[in-house]
Amino acid sequence: MAKLANAGNEDAFAEIVRRYSPRVFHFASKFFRQRSLVEEAAQEVFLKAFTQLGSFEGRGSMEGWFTRITTNTCLNLLRSAKRRPEMTVSDLSEDESGWLESKYSGAAEEEFKSSERSKVAADLTERVLETMSPDDRLVLTLVDGEDAPVKEVAELTGWSESKVKVQAFRARKRMREAVEKLLGK
Amino acid sequence: MSEHIINILEGTRFASLSDNDHSRIRAHSATCEECARAYKLASVSASMLENRMVETFEPSPFFHTRVLAALREQQNEGPAFARLWRAAGALVSSMAAAVVLFAVLSFAVFDQTLPTDASLTTAYSPEAVILNDFDEEQTDGQVLSTLYAADE
Repeated sequence: MAKLANAGNEDAFAEIVRRYSPRVFHFASKFFRQRSLVEEAAQEVFLKAFTQLGSFEGRGSMEGWFTRITTNTCLNLLRSAKRRPEMTVSDLSEDESGWLESKYSGAAEEEFKSSERSKVAADLTERVLETMSPDDRLVLTLVDGEDAPVKEVAELTGWSESKVKVQAFRARKRMREAVEKLLGK
Repeated sequence: MSEHIINILEGTRFASLSDNDHSRIRAHSATCEECARAYKLASVSASMLENRMVETFEPSPFFHTRVLAALREQQNEGPAFARLWRAAGALVSSMAAAVVLFAVLSFAVFDQTLPTDASLTTAYSPEAVILNDFDEEQTDGQVLSTLYAADE
């Protein structure tokens, strides 16, 4: 199919988009929380993929190839976006403060399982992640969020495994510090 | 006091910590306030990421149509240089042609109007004027200026 699409067969390329767009959307959703941004990133991924189809040699899976392009596209988009300034306690809504405080004090887990609570937590997390560097965000998302092995992250990003480990180590520390600041501890 | 557990927290994904790790961390945290705080914060961070990661978007049914339309648009547009050349190519070409034309004309006119050094050096010598030893008929003015220049 890649060969057909590379030869200019539009139907073949449309089939590729149909087949791999759920994977690309799933992955891009981890980096962007607005649907429009996810769509923009996904479209860029497929346009890039079309121009690079000739370089896909069929050695690895096409899904892996798309994941790699998605990772790099999202990282580039994050790098070109303006970073949110550091957050403080005063930036939090009442719900967010409540969620953080109860989570920190170890209140019953069941209380936070409701979808509304999850949304509050996801909103807050997104805002905290937006204050972090794109590399920190990438590694936290892939390693801690998606439970991707270090080796896989190294292949996706082109970084060495040691760099992934060091980046993850530092990113966890910075995330913890950001949360600490929000809690005013 | 046992070893601080911060390195365990920073070196490992929180959700991947084993029961043994958690027991060690809790045992140490009971006597170390700093590590107890770090442990709680790591737990909150992990929970935040977990809540964020469950969110995901599905492509709309028209997504592939949009991508194909964008692809066609991109192919029609071509590379940036080609677009720029289409817009300004004629102007740039005519300006270059005009510059070349002016250059050619300038050198051609210059060659015709200015006397060459060779014509200046073949001016007549006083002896040639006195002996009337030259090929062409000279004006009186030329003869006089040659003779007076020799006197000076």
